[in-house]
Amino acid sequence: MPHYIGVIIDDKRMEKIKGTPLEREIKDMFGGALKMIAVPVPEDKSKEILKAFDKARIDSRGYIEDIPIALRRAVFEEMVKNKSLNIIDKVLARLPEIQEAAKKEDEFIPPPEVE
Amino acid sequence: MKSGGVVMPMLRMPPPHGGRLVDRVVKNKNRAEKIAAGCPRFELKATLDPKGVPIRHVYREIMSICYGFFSPLEGSMVRDELERVLKERRLLSEWIFPFPILFDVSEDDYKALGVKEGDRLLLTLKGQPFATLDIEEIYRIDPKDVAVRTFGTPEKNPEVVRQPFDDKHPGYLIYRCHQPVIFAGKYTIINEPKFKEPYDRFWFPPAKCRDVIKNVKKWRTVIAHQTRNVPHVGHEMLMKCAAFTGDIEPCSGILVNAIIGAKRRGDYPDEAILEGHEAVNKYGYIKPERHMVTMTLWDMRYGNPIESLLHGIIRQNLGCTHHMFGRDHAAVGEYYDMYATQILWSKGIPSFGFDAPPHEVDYGLKILPQNMGEFWYCPKCGEIAYSETCGHSKERQKFSGSFIRGLVSEGIFPPNVIFRPEVYKVIVKWWKVYGYPFVNNKYLKLKAQELEVDVPKLELPKG
Repeated sequence: MPHYIGVIIDDKRMEKIKGTPLEREIKDMFGGALKMIAVPVPEDKSKEILKAFDKARIDSRGYIEDIPIALRRAVFEEMVKNKSLNIIDKVLARLPEIQEAAKKEDEFIPPPEVE
Repeated sequence: MKSGGVVMPMLRMPPPHGGRLVDRVVKNKNRAEKIAAGCPRFELKATLDPKGVPIRHVYREIMSICYGFFSPLEGSMVRDELERVLKERRLLSEWIFPFPILFDVSEDDYKALGVKEGDRLLLTLKGQPFATLDIEEIYRIDPKDVAVRTFGTPEKNPEVVRQPFDDKHPGYLIYRCHQPVIFAGKYTIINEPKFKEPYDRFWFPPAKCRDVIKNVKKWRTVIAHQTRNVPHVGHEMLMKCAAFTGDIEPCSGILVNAIIGAKRRGDYPDEAILEGHEAVNKYGYIKPERHMVTMTLWDMRYGNPIESLLHGIIRQNLGCTHHMFGRDHAAVGEYYDMYATQILWSKGIPSFGFDAPPHEVDYGLKILPQNMGEFWYCPKCGEIAYSETCGHSKERQKFSGSFIRGLVSEGIFPPNVIFRPEVYKVIVKWWKVYGYPFVNNKYLKLKAQELEVDVPKLELPKG
Protein backbone atom coordinates (compact mmCIF):
# COMPACT_ATOMS: atom_id res chain seq x y z
CA MET A 1 0.00 0.00 0.00
CA PRO A 2 1.52 3.34 -0.98
CA HIS A 3 1.90 6.16 1.48
CA TYR A 4 1.48 9.80 0.47
CA ILE A 5 3.17 13.15 0.79
CA GLY A 6 0.58 15.91 0.87
CA VAL A 7 1.51 19.15 -0.87
CA ILE A 8 -0.72 22.08 0.00
CA ILE A 9 -1.56 24.15 -3.05
CA ASP A 10 -1.79 27.81 -2.13
CA ASP A 11 -2.32 30.65 -4.63
CA LYS A 12 1.37 30.87 -5.57
CA ARG A 13 1.65 27.16 -6.25
CA MET A 14 -1.66 27.17 -8.12
CA GLU A 15 -0.17 29.66 -10.60
CA LYS A 16 2.61 27.19 -11.38
CA ILE A 17 0.37 24.23 -12.14
CA LYS A 18 -2.51 26.00 -13.85
CA GLY A 19 -3.35 24.36 -17.18
CA THR A 20 -1.16 21.29 -16.52
CA PRO A 21 -2.44 17.74 -15.86
CA LEU A 22 -1.56 18.33 -12.22
CA GLU A 23 -4.56 20.60 -11.84
CA ARG A 24 -6.82 17.55 -12.09
CA GLU A 25 -5.05 15.97 -9.09
CA ILE A 26 -6.07 18.73 -6.70
CA LYS A 27 -8.28 17.61 -3.85
CA ASP A 28 -10.39 19.80 -1.63
CA MET A 29 -9.78 19.62 2.09
CA PHE A 30 -11.85 21.04 4.89
CA GLY A 31 -14.74 21.98 2.65
CA GLY A 32 -12.51 23.55 0.03
CA ALA A 33 -10.73 25.79 2.54
CA LEU A 34 -7.48 24.06 1.58
CA LYS A 35 -6.35 22.44 -1.64
CA MET A 36 -3.87 19.60 -1.74
CA ILE A 37 -2.18 17.18 -4.08
CA ALA A 38 -1.40 13.77 -2.61
CA VAL A 39 1.80 12.39 -4.11
CA PRO A 40 1.94 8.59 -3.86
CA VAL A 41 5.10 7.11 -2.34
CA PRO A 42 5.69 3.36 -2.78
CA GLU A 43 6.33 1.58 0.52
CA ASP A 44 10.04 0.91 -0.10
CA LYS A 45 10.57 4.60 -0.90
CA SER A 46 8.67 5.76 2.16
CA LYS A 47 11.02 3.59 4.24
CA GLU A 48 13.92 5.47 2.66
CA ILE A 49 12.32 8.77 3.63
CA LEU A 50 11.69 7.65 7.23
CA LYS A 51 15.33 6.55 7.44
CA ALA A 52 16.63 9.83 6.06
CA PHE A 53 14.59 12.06 8.41
CA ASP A 54 14.36 10.82 12.00
CA LYS A 55 11.28 12.91 12.91
CA ALA A 56 9.28 11.71 9.89
CA ARG A 57 6.35 9.40 10.60
CA ILE A 58 3.34 7.88 8.92
CA ASP A 59 0.15 9.32 10.38
CA SER A 60 -3.16 7.56 10.81
CA ARG A 61 -4.23 8.67 7.31
CA GLY A 62 -1.19 7.00 5.71
CA TYR A 63 0.51 10.33 5.00
CA ILE A 64 4.22 10.86 5.64
CA GLU A 65 4.31 13.80 8.03
CA ASP A 66 6.78 15.70 10.20
CA ILE A 67 9.05 15.97 7.18
CA PRO A 68 11.28 18.96 6.43
CA ILE A 69 9.88 21.87 4.47
CA ALA A 70 12.77 21.35 2.07
CA LEU A 71 11.47 17.88 1.20
CA ARG A 72 7.97 19.11 0.54
CA ARG A 73 9.34 21.95 -1.61
CA ALA A 74 11.44 19.48 -3.59
CA VAL A 75 8.37 17.30 -4.16
CA PHE A 76 6.48 20.30 -5.55
CA GLU A 77 9.41 21.44 -7.71
CA GLU A 78 9.78 17.99 -9.28
CA MET A 79 6.03 17.77 -9.80
CA VAL A 80 6.07 21.05 -11.71
CA LYS A 81 9.19 20.16 -13.67
CA ASN A 82 7.85 16.76 -14.74
CA LYS A 83 4.12 17.61 -14.82
CA SER A 84 3.56 14.28 -13.11
CA LEU A 85 3.13 12.73 -9.67
CA ASN A 86 5.53 9.92 -10.48
CA ILE A 87 8.52 11.84 -9.19
CA ILE A 88 9.63 10.25 -5.92
CA ASP A 89 12.80 8.74 -7.45
CA LYS A 90 13.80 12.18 -8.69
CA VAL A 91 13.18 13.64 -5.23
CA LEU A 92 15.21 10.91 -3.56
CA ALA A 93 18.08 11.63 -5.95
CA ARG A 94 18.23 15.08 -4.32
CA LEU A 95 18.37 13.68 -0.76
CA PRO A 96 21.83 15.02 0.25
CA GLU A 97 20.85 18.56 -0.74
CA ILE A 98 17.47 18.22 1.06
CA GLN A 99 19.11 16.81 4.21
CA GLU A 100 21.54 19.71 4.28
CA ALA A 101 18.68 22.23 4.08
CA ALA A 102 16.71 20.27 6.69
CA LYS A 103 19.53 20.62 9.25
CA LYS A 104 19.15 24.39 9.13
CA GLU A 105 15.38 24.02 9.67
CA ASP A 106 16.02 22.56 13.16
CA GLU A 107 17.33 25.95 14.29
CA PHE A 108 15.45 28.54 12.29
CA ILE A 109 12.37 28.80 10.09
CA PRO A 110 11.57 32.29 8.82
CA PRO A 111 8.24 33.44 10.24
CA PRO A 112 5.55 34.50 7.79
CA GLU A 113 4.43 38.09 7.59
CA VAL A 114 0.86 38.29 8.84
CA GLU A 115 -1.12 41.42 9.65
CA MET B 1 -35.47 15.48 41.24
CA LYS B 2 -36.36 11.81 40.81
CA SER B 3 -36.50 9.70 37.71
CA GLY B 4 -37.41 6.02 38.08
CA GLY B 5 -36.22 6.10 41.67
CA VAL B 6 -32.78 7.48 40.71
CA VAL B 7 -31.87 10.87 42.10
CA MET B 8 -30.01 13.20 39.77
CA PRO B 9 -27.52 14.77 42.16
CA MET B 10 -26.60 18.43 41.89
CA LEU B 11 -22.82 18.40 41.81
CA ARG B 12 -20.70 20.69 43.96
CA MET B 13 -17.00 21.49 43.93
CA PRO B 14 -15.16 18.38 45.16
CA PRO B 15 -12.82 18.56 48.16
CA PRO B 16 -9.08 18.63 47.43
CA HIS B 17 -7.47 15.25 46.85
CA GLY B 18 -6.47 13.96 50.28
CA GLY B 19 -8.94 16.26 52.05
CA ARG B 20 -7.00 19.51 52.29
CA LEU B 21 -4.88 21.67 50.06
CA VAL B 22 -1.19 21.60 50.76
CA ASP B 23 0.18 25.08 51.43
CA ARG B 24 3.91 25.08 52.05
CA VAL B 25 4.69 28.66 51.10
CA VAL B 26 6.05 30.89 53.85
CA LYS B 27 5.12 34.49 53.17
CA ASN B 28 6.48 36.03 56.37
CA LYS B 29 10.06 37.16 55.75
CA ASN B 30 11.16 36.82 59.39
CA ARG B 31 9.84 33.29 59.55
CA ALA B 32 11.49 32.45 56.24
CA GLU B 33 14.82 33.77 57.50
CA LYS B 34 14.56 31.67 60.65
CA ILE B 35 13.73 28.53 58.67
CA ALA B 36 16.65 28.87 56.26
CA ALA B 37 19.39 30.56 58.27
CA GLY B 38 22.65 28.65 58.34
CA CYS B 39 21.54 25.82 56.06
CA PRO B 40 23.90 24.39 53.46
CA ARG B 41 22.98 25.74 50.01
CA PHE B 42 22.31 23.86 46.81
CA GLU B 43 21.63 25.59 43.49
CA LEU B 44 18.84 23.87 41.57
CA LYS B 45 19.69 22.82 38.05
CA ALA B 46 18.00 21.29 35.04
CA THR B 47 18.03 17.56 34.34
CA LEU B 48 19.87 17.06 31.05
CA ASP B 49 19.43 14.37 28.41
CA PRO B 50 22.51 12.48 27.16
CA LYS B 51 23.10 15.21 24.55
CA GLY B 52 23.05 17.94 27.21
CA VAL B 53 19.58 19.26 26.37
CA PRO B 54 17.45 20.29 29.41
CA ILE B 55 14.39 18.07 29.81
CA ARG B 56 13.25 18.85 33.37
CA HIS B 57 13.73 21.40 36.14
CA VAL B 58 12.92 20.23 39.66
CA TYR B 59 11.87 23.77 40.65
CA ARG B 60 8.62 23.13 38.76
CA GLU B 61 7.85 20.12 40.95
CA ILE B 62 8.66 22.11 44.10
CA MET B 63 6.28 24.87 43.01
CA SER B 64 3.48 22.44 42.17
CA ILE B 65 3.86 20.66 45.51
CA CYS B 66 4.14 23.72 47.75
CA TYR B 67 1.23 25.59 46.12
CA GLY B 68 -1.01 22.53 46.44
CA PHE B 69 -1.40 21.39 42.83
CA PHE B 70 -0.14 17.91 43.81
CA SER B 71 -2.00 17.74 47.17
CA PRO B 72 -1.69 15.71 49.32
CA LEU B 73 1.97 15.25 48.32
CA GLU B 74 4.30 17.45 50.39
CA GLY B 75 7.75 16.66 49.10
CA SER B 76 10.24 14.24 47.59
CA MET B 77 9.18 10.64 48.22
CA VAL B 78 10.84 8.32 50.76
CA ARG B 79 11.91 4.93 49.41
CA ASP B 80 8.83 3.06 50.70
CA GLU B 81 6.56 5.64 49.12
CA LEU B 82 8.41 5.43 45.80
CA GLU B 83 7.96 1.64 45.83
CA ARG B 84 4.25 1.97 46.68
CA VAL B 85 3.71 4.45 43.86
CA LEU B 86 5.49 2.22 41.37
CA LYS B 87 3.53 -0.86 42.46
CA GLU B 88 0.08 0.52 43.25
CA ARG B 89 0.09 4.22 42.33
CA ARG B 90 -0.67 5.16 45.92
CA LEU B 91 1.08 7.23 48.58
CA LEU B 92 1.81 5.75 52.01
CA SER B 93 -1.28 7.65 53.18
CA GLU B 94 -3.32 5.51 50.72
CA TRP B 95 -4.28 8.38 48.42
CA ILE B 96 -3.80 7.76 44.71
CA PHE B 97 -0.69 9.30 43.18
CA PRO B 98 0.77 8.23 39.83
CA PHE B 99 4.37 9.38 39.42
CA PRO B 100 7.60 9.16 41.41
CA ILE B 101 8.44 12.66 42.62
CA LEU B 102 12.07 12.75 43.63
CA PHE B 103 14.77 15.23 44.57
CA ASP B 104 17.78 13.70 42.88
CA VAL B 105 21.43 14.69 43.14
CA SER B 106 24.63 13.26 41.71
CA GLU B 107 27.14 11.33 43.82
CA ASP B 108 29.56 14.27 43.45
CA ASP B 109 27.01 16.81 44.67
CA TYR B 110 26.08 14.52 47.57
CA LYS B 111 29.71 14.24 48.58
CA ALA B 112 30.30 17.98 48.24
CA LEU B 113 27.20 18.84 50.30
CA GLY B 114 28.06 16.46 53.12
CA VAL B 115 24.45 16.43 54.38
CA LYS B 116 22.78 13.66 56.33
CA GLU B 117 19.27 12.60 57.25
CA GLY B 118 17.71 15.17 59.59
CA ASP B 119 19.51 18.10 57.95
CA ARG B 120 17.78 21.00 56.28
CA LEU B 121 18.99 22.04 52.84
CA LEU B 122 18.51 25.51 51.38
CA LEU B 123 17.61 25.29 47.70
CA THR B 124 18.55 28.30 45.64
CA LEU B 125 17.18 29.23 42.25
CA LYS B 126 18.91 31.71 39.95
CA GLY B 127 21.30 32.26 42.86
CA GLN B 128 18.62 33.34 45.34
CA PRO B 129 17.16 31.45 48.31
CA PHE B 130 14.00 29.73 47.07
CA ALA B 131 12.96 26.76 49.22
CA THR B 132 14.11 24.33 51.85
CA LEU B 133 14.15 20.56 51.89
CA ASP B 134 14.00 18.80 55.27
CA ILE B 135 15.94 15.64 54.55
CA GLU B 136 14.09 12.71 56.06
CA GLU B 137 15.85 9.94 54.17
CA ILE B 138 18.74 9.56 51.75
CA TYR B 139 18.75 6.59 49.41
CA ARG B 140 19.81 5.51 45.96
CA ILE B 141 17.80 4.52 42.91
CA ASP B 142 18.54 2.82 39.64
CA PRO B 143 17.11 5.51 37.32
CA LYS B 144 16.50 3.05 34.47
CA ASP B 145 14.54 0.74 36.76
CA VAL B 146 12.42 3.67 37.98
CA ALA B 147 11.84 4.77 34.37
CA VAL B 148 10.71 1.32 33.24
CA ARG B 149 8.43 0.76 36.22
CA THR B 150 6.91 4.24 36.02
CA PHE B 151 5.46 3.66 32.56
CA GLY B 152 5.03 -0.12 32.57
CA THR B 153 5.96 -2.86 30.12
CA PRO B 154 4.00 -4.94 27.58
CA GLU B 155 4.62 -8.02 29.76
CA LYS B 156 3.54 -6.57 33.10
CA ASN B 157 0.85 -4.19 31.84
CA PRO B 158 -0.57 -6.02 28.82
CA GLU B 159 -3.94 -4.25 29.08
CA VAL B 160 -2.52 -1.00 27.71
CA VAL B 161 1.26 -1.03 27.10
CA ARG B 162 1.91 -1.87 23.45
CA GLN B 163 5.68 -1.51 23.12
CA PRO B 164 8.65 -1.19 25.50
CA PHE B 165 9.54 2.36 26.50
CA ASP B 166 12.86 3.73 25.33
CA ASP B 167 14.87 6.94 25.17
CA LYS B 168 12.64 8.29 22.39
CA HIS B 169 9.86 8.66 24.96
CA PRO B 170 10.35 12.06 26.69
CA GLY B 171 8.91 10.96 30.05
CA TYR B 172 10.93 7.77 30.18
CA LEU B 173 14.02 9.83 29.36
CA ILE B 174 13.33 12.21 32.25
CA TYR B 175 13.39 9.37 34.80
CA ARG B 176 16.26 7.59 33.05
CA CYS B 177 18.30 10.79 33.39
CA HIS B 178 17.55 11.29 37.10
CA GLN B 179 20.63 11.36 39.32
CA PRO B 180 21.07 8.28 41.52
CA VAL B 181 21.02 9.83 45.03
CA ILE B 182 17.62 10.80 46.40
CA PHE B 183 16.99 13.25 49.22
CA ALA B 184 13.47 12.58 50.49
CA GLY B 185 11.49 15.02 52.61
CA LYS B 186 9.17 18.00 52.66
CA TYR B 187 9.75 21.16 50.66
CA THR B 188 8.92 24.64 51.92
CA ILE B 189 9.08 27.72 49.68
CA ILE B 190 10.60 30.57 51.67
CA ASN B 191 10.94 33.17 48.91
CA GLU B 192 8.06 33.32 46.46
CA PRO B 193 9.18 33.59 42.84
CA LYS B 194 7.58 36.24 40.64
CA PHE B 195 6.09 35.06 37.36
CA LYS B 196 7.12 36.79 34.18
CA GLU B 197 4.78 37.77 31.38
CA PRO B 198 2.75 36.10 30.01
CA TYR B 199 2.80 33.40 32.72
CA ASP B 200 1.69 35.81 35.47
CA ARG B 201 -1.77 36.11 33.87
CA PHE B 202 -2.37 32.36 34.07
CA TRP B 203 -1.01 31.53 37.52
CA PHE B 204 -3.94 30.40 39.63
CA PRO B 205 -2.74 28.06 42.39
CA PRO B 206 -5.50 25.78 43.71
CA ALA B 207 -6.63 27.94 46.65
CA LYS B 208 -6.88 31.01 44.40
CA CYS B 209 -8.46 29.06 41.54
CA ARG B 210 -11.15 27.62 43.83
CA ASP B 211 -11.87 31.12 45.10
CA VAL B 212 -12.16 32.52 41.55
CA ILE B 213 -14.44 29.67 40.47
CA LYS B 214 -16.74 30.11 43.48
CA ASN B 215 -16.76 33.85 43.99
CA VAL B 216 -15.77 35.52 40.73
CA LYS B 217 -16.94 33.19 37.99
CA LYS B 218 -19.69 31.74 40.21
CA TRP B 219 -19.44 28.39 38.46
CA ARG B 220 -21.08 25.40 40.17
CA THR B 221 -19.73 22.75 37.81
CA VAL B 222 -16.46 23.00 35.88
CA ILE B 223 -14.97 20.70 33.27
CA ALA B 224 -11.19 20.65 32.96
CA HIS B 225 -9.41 20.66 29.62
CA GLN B 226 -5.84 19.35 29.65
CA THR B 227 -3.58 21.02 27.12
CA ARG B 228 -0.04 20.97 25.82
CA ASN B 229 -1.14 22.44 22.52
CA VAL B 230 -2.14 25.64 20.80
CA PRO B 231 -5.85 24.97 20.26
CA HIS B 232 -7.00 24.17 16.75
CA VAL B 233 -10.69 24.13 15.98
CA GLY B 234 -10.89 20.41 16.82
CA HIS B 235 -9.73 21.21 20.37
CA GLU B 236 -12.23 24.05 20.53
CA MET B 237 -15.05 21.70 19.53
CA LEU B 238 -13.88 19.16 22.10
CA MET B 239 -14.13 21.82 24.81
CA LYS B 240 -17.50 23.07 23.63
CA CYS B 241 -19.07 19.63 23.32
CA ALA B 242 -17.54 18.08 26.45
CA ALA B 243 -18.89 21.03 28.41
CA PHE B 244 -22.42 19.81 27.70
CA THR B 245 -21.66 17.26 30.39
CA GLY B 246 -22.80 18.34 33.81
CA ASP B 247 -25.71 17.27 35.98
CA ILE B 248 -29.11 18.90 35.50
CA GLU B 249 -27.48 21.33 33.08
CA PRO B 250 -24.20 21.59 31.14
CA CYS B 251 -21.07 22.55 33.07
CA SER B 252 -21.02 26.20 34.07
CA GLY B 253 -17.37 26.61 33.16
CA ILE B 254 -14.46 25.23 31.17
CA LEU B 255 -11.11 25.39 32.93
CA VAL B 256 -8.18 25.08 30.55
CA ASN B 257 -5.09 23.97 32.44
CA ALA B 258 -1.91 24.09 30.38
CA ILE B 259 1.12 22.07 31.37
CA ILE B 260 4.09 24.42 31.39
CA GLY B 261 7.63 23.09 31.32
CA ALA B 262 10.09 21.27 29.10
CA LYS B 263 8.27 19.55 26.27
CA ARG B 264 9.17 17.34 23.37
CA ARG B 265 10.58 18.88 20.24
CA GLY B 266 7.73 19.71 17.86
CA ASP B 267 5.28 20.82 20.53
CA TYR B 268 4.46 24.53 20.64
CA PRO B 269 6.26 27.03 22.93
CA ASP B 270 4.52 27.46 26.28
CA GLU B 271 3.80 31.14 25.71
CA ALA B 272 1.94 30.34 22.47
CA ILE B 273 -0.06 27.58 24.17
CA LEU B 274 -1.28 29.93 26.92
CA GLU B 275 -2.00 32.92 24.71
CA GLY B 276 -3.52 30.69 22.02
CA HIS B 277 -6.09 29.39 24.50
CA GLU B 278 -6.59 32.90 25.83
CA ALA B 279 -7.42 34.03 22.26
CA VAL B 280 -10.26 31.49 22.17
CA ASN B 281 -12.07 33.41 24.90
CA LYS B 282 -10.70 36.88 24.11
CA TYR B 283 -12.22 36.72 20.63
CA GLY B 284 -15.45 35.11 21.76
CA TYR B 285 -15.16 31.60 20.30
CA ILE B 286 -16.00 30.52 23.84
CA LYS B 287 -17.04 33.50 25.87
CA PRO B 288 -14.79 34.43 28.81
CA GLU B 289 -17.70 34.11 31.23
CA ARG B 290 -17.52 30.37 30.55
CA HIS B 291 -13.82 29.81 29.84
CA MET B 292 -10.69 30.42 31.85
CA VAL B 293 -7.05 29.62 31.11
CA THR B 294 -4.68 28.48 33.86
CA MET B 295 -1.41 26.61 34.07
CA THR B 296 0.51 24.02 36.08
CA LEU B 297 4.29 23.82 36.23
CA TRP B 298 5.34 20.29 35.28
CA ASP B 299 7.74 18.77 32.83
CA MET B 300 5.26 16.58 31.07
CA ARG B 301 5.93 12.84 31.21
CA TYR B 302 3.58 11.97 28.31
CA GLY B 303 2.36 9.03 30.38
CA ASN B 304 -1.13 8.66 28.85
CA PRO B 305 -3.14 6.75 31.58
CA ILE B 306 -0.54 7.46 34.27
CA GLU B 307 -0.46 11.13 33.31
CA SER B 308 -4.27 11.25 33.34
CA LEU B 309 -4.22 10.39 37.05
CA LEU B 310 -2.00 13.37 37.76
CA HIS B 311 -4.29 15.51 35.62
CA GLY B 312 -7.28 14.31 37.65
CA ILE B 313 -5.49 15.19 40.90
CA ILE B 314 -4.40 18.65 39.73
CA ARG B 315 -7.78 19.61 38.30
CA GLN B 316 -9.71 18.28 41.33
CA ASN B 317 -7.41 20.39 43.49
CA LEU B 318 -8.15 23.36 41.22
CA GLY B 319 -11.86 22.83 41.93
CA CYS B 320 -13.14 21.07 38.80
CA THR B 321 -16.06 18.65 38.93
CA HIS B 322 -15.29 16.95 35.57
CA HIS B 323 -12.31 16.18 33.37
CA MET B 324 -12.45 15.57 29.64
CA PHE B 325 -10.25 12.78 28.31
CA GLY B 326 -9.77 12.32 24.58
CA ARG B 327 -8.12 9.63 22.50
CA ASP B 328 -4.31 9.41 22.99
CA HIS B 329 -4.55 11.57 26.10
CA ALA B 330 -1.14 13.04 27.00
CA ALA B 331 0.47 10.53 24.68
CA VAL B 332 3.38 10.43 22.33
CA GLY B 333 4.19 7.60 19.92
CA GLU B 334 2.49 4.25 20.13
CA TYR B 335 3.75 3.02 23.50
CA TYR B 336 0.25 2.82 24.97
CA ASP B 337 -3.08 1.76 23.53
CA MET B 338 -4.63 4.93 22.10
CA TYR B 339 -7.58 4.45 24.45
CA ALA B 340 -5.48 3.62 27.55
CA THR B 341 -6.69 6.64 29.51
CA GLN B 342 -10.32 5.92 28.69
CA ILE B 343 -9.86 2.26 29.66
CA LEU B 344 -8.48 3.42 33.03
CA TRP B 345 -11.36 5.80 33.64
CA SER B 346 -14.08 3.41 32.48
CA LYS B 347 -13.04 0.06 33.94
CA GLY B 348 -9.61 0.45 35.55
CA ILE B 349 -6.24 -1.14 34.75
CA PRO B 350 -5.56 -3.89 37.33
CA SER B 351 -1.85 -4.20 36.53
CA PHE B 352 -1.40 -0.54 37.48
CA GLY B 353 -3.31 -1.06 40.76
CA PHE B 354 -6.81 -0.15 39.56
CA ASP B 355 -9.43 -2.89 39.61
CA ALA B 356 -11.97 -0.10 39.13
CA PRO B 357 -11.74 3.44 37.70
CA PRO B 358 -9.83 5.93 39.87
CA HIS B 359 -13.03 7.74 40.88
CA GLU B 360 -14.62 4.52 42.15
CA VAL B 361 -11.90 3.27 44.51
CA ASP B 362 -11.17 4.12 48.15
CA TYR B 363 -8.85 7.11 48.56
CA GLY B 364 -9.50 7.80 44.90
CA LEU B 365 -10.49 10.89 43.01
CA LYS B 366 -13.80 12.74 43.19
CA ILE B 367 -13.47 14.40 39.82
CA LEU B 368 -15.65 12.72 37.17
CA PRO B 369 -14.30 11.61 33.81
CA GLN B 370 -15.84 12.55 30.50
CA ASN B 371 -14.32 10.24 27.91
CA MET B 372 -14.66 11.78 24.48
CA GLY B 373 -14.30 10.44 20.96
CA GLU B 374 -12.75 12.40 18.10
CA PHE B 375 -13.67 15.49 16.17
CA TRP B 376 -13.05 15.70 12.45
CA TYR B 377 -14.15 17.76 9.50
CA CYS B 378 -16.90 16.00 7.54
CA PRO B 379 -17.26 17.37 3.99
CA LYS B 380 -20.64 15.68 3.66
CA CYS B 381 -22.07 17.19 6.85
CA GLY B 382 -20.19 20.39 6.02
CA GLU B 383 -19.14 20.84 9.63
CA ILE B 384 -16.86 19.69 12.39
CA ALA B 385 -18.38 16.36 13.35
CA TYR B 386 -18.15 14.06 16.36
CA SER B 387 -16.85 10.57 15.62
CA GLU B 388 -19.64 8.85 17.54
CA THR B 389 -22.31 10.82 15.69
CA CYS B 390 -21.13 11.33 12.12
CA GLY B 391 -21.83 8.41 9.79
CA HIS B 392 -19.38 9.47 7.08
CA SER B 393 -16.18 8.03 8.48
CA LYS B 394 -14.83 7.35 4.96
CA GLU B 395 -15.02 11.03 4.06
CA ARG B 396 -13.65 12.31 7.38
CA GLN B 397 -10.73 14.75 7.40
CA LYS B 398 -8.87 14.51 10.68
CA PHE B 399 -7.18 17.30 12.58
CA SER B 400 -3.85 15.51 12.33
CA GLY B 401 -1.38 17.30 14.59
CA SER B 402 1.50 16.50 12.28
CA PHE B 403 -0.43 17.72 9.23
CA ILE B 404 -1.14 20.99 10.99
CA ARG B 405 2.52 21.32 12.05
CA GLY B 406 3.47 20.90 8.38
CA LEU B 407 1.03 23.60 7.38
CA VAL B 408 2.34 25.97 10.03
CA SER B 409 6.02 25.44 9.23
CA GLU B 410 5.39 26.13 5.54
CA GLY B 411 4.04 29.52 6.61
CA ILE B 412 0.61 28.94 5.08
CA PHE B 413 -2.14 30.93 6.80
CA PRO B 414 -4.48 28.14 7.96
CA PRO B 415 -8.16 28.40 7.15
CA ASN B 416 -10.65 29.34 9.85
CA VAL B 417 -11.83 25.76 10.01
CA ILE B 418 -8.38 24.64 11.28
CA PHE B 419 -7.10 27.58 13.35
CA ARG B 420 -8.95 30.70 14.35
CA PRO B 421 -6.97 33.57 12.78
CA GLU B 422 -6.36 35.18 16.16
CA VAL B 423 -4.96 31.90 17.50
CA TYR B 424 -2.67 31.48 14.48
CA LYS B 425 -1.41 35.05 14.96
CA VAL B 426 -0.35 34.07 18.49
CA ILE B 427 1.75 31.25 17.00
CA VAL B 428 3.39 33.72 14.63
CA LYS B 429 3.96 36.24 17.46
CA TRP B 430 6.07 33.72 19.43
CA TRP B 431 7.61 32.32 16.23
CA LYS B 432 9.07 35.79 15.64
CA VAL B 433 10.44 35.85 19.20
CA TYR B 434 12.16 32.46 19.00
CA GLY B 435 12.79 32.19 15.24
CA TYR B 436 10.92 28.90 15.31
CA PRO B 437 7.26 27.94 15.63
CA PHE B 438 7.88 24.85 17.78
CA VAL B 439 9.94 23.63 20.70
CA ASN B 440 13.51 22.91 19.61
CA ASN B 441 16.80 22.42 21.48
CA LYS B 442 17.51 26.16 21.41
CA TYR B 443 14.15 26.91 23.05
CA LEU B 444 14.66 24.21 25.71
CA LYS B 445 18.09 25.59 26.60
CA LEU B 446 16.84 29.16 26.77
CA LYS B 447 13.83 28.12 28.85
CA ALA B 448 15.98 26.20 31.33
CA GLN B 449 18.11 29.29 31.77
CA GLU B 450 15.37 31.90 31.94
CA LEU B 451 12.57 29.83 33.55
CA GLU B 452 9.03 31.16 33.94
CA VAL B 453 9.96 33.10 37.08
CA ASP B 454 12.42 35.47 38.64
CA VAL B 455 13.37 35.06 42.28
CA PRO B 456 13.50 38.19 44.45
CA LYS B 457 16.75 39.00 46.22
CA LEU B 458 16.78 37.67 49.78
CA GLU B 459 19.66 38.12 52.23
CA LEU B 460 19.71 35.45 54.90
CA PRO B 461 21.44 35.87 58.27
CA LYS B 462 24.34 33.49 58.71
CA GLY B 463 23.35 30.64 61.06
